[in-house]
Amino acid sequence: MIAASVGNVLVWAVWILAAFACLGSGVAVVSFSNPFYSALALIGNLGSLAVLYLLLSSEFVAAAQVLVYAGAVMVMFLFVIAYVDPRLESPWAGGPGWQAIGGVLAAAALLVEIIVVIGLNAGGSLAHSHDVGGSFGSPSYIGRLFLTDHLLAFEITSIVLLVAAIGGVILGSHSRRSEAGVEPL
Amino acid sequence: MIYGSWICLLSPLAAAGLITLAGGRITRRGAGYLATLSCFVSFGGAVAAFVSLLGRDAEQRSVLSTAWIWITGGTYRSGLAVLIDPLSVMMMLVVSGVGALIVLYSIGYMDGDREERRYFAYMALFVFSMLLLVQGGNLLILLAGWGMVGLSSYLLIGFWHERPSAIAAAKKAFVMNAIGDATMALALFLLIQKAGSVDFGILGGEYTSTVANLVALGLLGGAVAKSAQLPLQTWLPDAMEGPTPVSALIHAATMVTAGVYLIVRTHAIFEQAPKVADLAAGLGAATLLVAGLVALVQVDIKRVIAYSTMSQIGYMFLAVGLGAYANGMFHLMTHAFFKALLFMAAGIVIHALTDEQDIRKMGGLRRLLPRTFIAFAIGAVALVGLPPFAGFFSKDSILADAMDRGAFGYVLWVVGLAGTFLTGLYTFRLLFLVFWGEPSAFVKEHFHAPKRDLTGWTMGVPVAVLAVLSVIGGWIQFAPLWHPVETWLQSVAEPVVTPTDWQEGISSALAVLLGLLGIYVAWALYAVKTFAVPQFAFAQRVLEHKFYFDELYDALFYRPTVWLAKALFRGIEDPLIAESSTSLGQDTRDLGRIVARLQTGLVRTYVLAIASGAAVLAIVFIAVK
Amino acid sequence: MNGPNITWYLGVAGFLFGVGALGVLLRRNPLIVLLSLEIMLNGANLALITFARHLDNGDGQIFALAVMAVAASEVVVGLGLIVALNRKRVPLDVDRLSSLRG
Repeated sequence: MIAASVGNVLVWAVWILAAFACLGSGVAVVSFSNPFYSALALIGNLGSLAVLYLLLSSEFVAAAQVLVYAGAVMVMFLFVIAYVDPRLESPWAGGPGWQAIGGVLAAAALLVEIIVVIGLNAGGSLAHSHDVGGSFGSPSYIGRLFLTDHLLAFEITSIVLLVAAIGGVILGSHSRRSEAGVEPL
Repeated sequence: MIYGSWICLLSPLAAAGLITLAGGRITRRGAGYLATLSCFVSFGGAVAAFVSLLGRDAEQRSVLSTAWIWITGGTYRSGLAVLIDPLSVMMMLVVSGVGALIVLYSIGYMDGDREERRYFAYMALFVFSMLLLVQGGNLLILLAGWGMVGLSSYLLIGFWHERPSAIAAAKKAFVMNAIGDATMALALFLLIQKAGSVDFGILGGEYTSTVANLVALGLLGGAVAKSAQLPLQTWLPDAMEGPTPVSALIHAATMVTAGVYLIVRTHAIFEQAPKVADLAAGLGAATLLVAGLVALVQVDIKRVIAYSTMSQIGYMFLAVGLGAYANGMFHLMTHAFFKALLFMAAGIVIHALTDEQDIRKMGGLRRLLPRTFIAFAIGAVALVGLPPFAGFFSKDSILADAMDRGAFGYVLWVVGLAGTFLTGLYTFRLLFLVFWGEPSAFVKEHFHAPKRDLTGWTMGVPVAVLAVLSVIGGWIQFAPLWHPVETWLQSVAEPVVTPTDWQEGISSALAVLLGLLGIYVAWALYAVKTFAVPQFAFAQRVLEHKFYFDELYDALFYRPTVWLAKALFRGIEDPLIAESSTSLGQDTRDLGRIVARLQTGLVRTYVLAIASGAAVLAIVFIAVK
Repeated sequence: MNGPNITWYLGVAGFLFGVGALGVLLRRNPLIVLLSLEIMLNGANLALITFARHLDNGDGQIFALAVMAVAASEVVVGLGLIVALNRKRVPLDVDRLSSLRG
């Protein structure tokens, strides 16, 4: 009992830390004017999310999150941010334009709706979670699912990645014609 | 007989269609031959119908042949029908016979014109329209023929369309005819409403006096317009802008007599509306006087003959207004002969003088064109009405009928007698000025004799034929002694007036005397020049301006209409209609511009739109759930 | 299950989504826009994993892995576009990229 309650408290504590880190870094991403700082904040966001995944017994996904997202995708981001002209925008200068107000309203509305949905549904199906087995979230579990039930998704995902790679190569290649006359977009 | 009359009707139409469709594939002369042939075939059909009618009893002489039912509406039925009865057969013979001769004459007259094919197609179309008019089995077909005749007249008056004066004259003729068409249409509407059909049988029905008066008035309006009587007479002199054969056929022999035919055909209505019939007679009398006076000062050879036509049709209106239908139709027939003859002879003169029509420049053509002079003289004498030529028999009966009508009739009688004096005067003035004396300088310079080849032959033969008819054509009826014309038409239109023999005798005597007096005065003034022509400046001016009718109509109708049209254009058409159509385009463009503001090109706007849309949809899902 | 009810996790996911949406709507630098897009995707991922855990169903995790792969591909293409824009000396401001203006 004590172990259970201690475990509960521990989980709660970790959860609170991870959740706040997640939200804080998310707000930071949106707020910083320097894109470099925003990218670093996103890395923090991704890390805290991995912790949350672990709390939800999804170990493989947590590991993939750190490896793929924080490891590969963010590194790519940082490369490009470093390469690109580091002109700082001043996002919060001037008063809020009509776009800003509209945007805040839309986002707030979405958020409120999500809360409402959660609150309304809370009574019914969200009350009790099922118990999961020990192998839930393990790589063998995921692997078995990928290769049996969701084989098509697996294959298509690989094709998507291939197409993205080709697209990246094409976008990044130099074309003689575009160098000569620079047309404004 | 039925086939004969359908052939008579459709033969010219076939010719018109063939000439039109053949286009340039037939020669110009070939078009002329085709048209002439079709008219002679038509005449043959008319003769066949006439002969077969002769063989029947008087009561059976009315045959209605319907091709198919044309218009139906509720209980109203109207068919494409052809009526074969004595009146229509008489008109068919005149129209197709004189028409064939004139179309033959045109081959020679129009030789060398660039657009002969169009001319012959129009002439064939006209003959068809006129036959449709006289053969129409109900008022609707008659109206159809009426309108088509007006169309053919317009096309032919404006035949030489490079001349602005011809175009203007054609428009004037058409517009004035349209006034008559409108009143006729109104009359028909009233008839359809009251009687439920437009067959000729309904004309004998009983109508209230208002209805009968209105219908008769409408029909009279149409007749007055088509026959160029007062007050709608101003188009006829201007219609002389067309080629001379056109003037001969349309504006002398046939189309302008359609009004007379109409009144005879619908005489039952006019008998129910005696005031309107008197009006018709009065208008006829007034016209014959006015036209006779104006003809005294005309200097264009064709215009003199045109006013003469107007005057003679006045006599016919006088006759049918009084109820002497047979006499009116008889005069129509004889008038067709000698008037067409006069026009054709005048055409030969015009051709010989290279299209000069001013009689002041002419003179002394008697020796240069001897046979034409004889023909013209025959026509002139027939016109004046001296025995034994054709006009004598027909015109004097009309005068006698006027005596049978009481006081009003006597007024008309006096007017008619005055008209005979004027007729003698202006006709022989024309004859003497053109043919008598020594050849004038102009004639010596410009005269060239008519050719002796085929074209000359085609012009000469019809003139000869009509000259003979002008002599003997009247012998078909001599009122006191024998009247087959009246008997022939009795089944269709019973005369209302029957003058006594004594009245006939005195009218004839006075008419002949006055005619001779007119001839003598003309001889004295213009041939031997015993007296100088009296100069009454005021009268001269009034007559030369044709009693100022043209100026009156110009001020009364034309100028206000033009003013109204301009005002409407400025006030309504330009700002409202033109603007609305242009503003339709412009407003659409402006609307498009406003909507295009949605496409900012900015991704953020689009994302905002998506987010807002998602928010709204979520609300909808939650609410509906 | 120990710890908070899954409703808390869903709330965090919702907040992440909202914050990411705000970032997409309010920022002008396309790089920041892409980063905000990543936050939104991660919020959706969290919701997926949460429901997978709640229902004891591995499909949610599979879906989340697929989302991650697609997000990675999208980042590749997006960054390629930004690099190409930069090479053409076009200012990196989404408000200035309006040549499709109607």
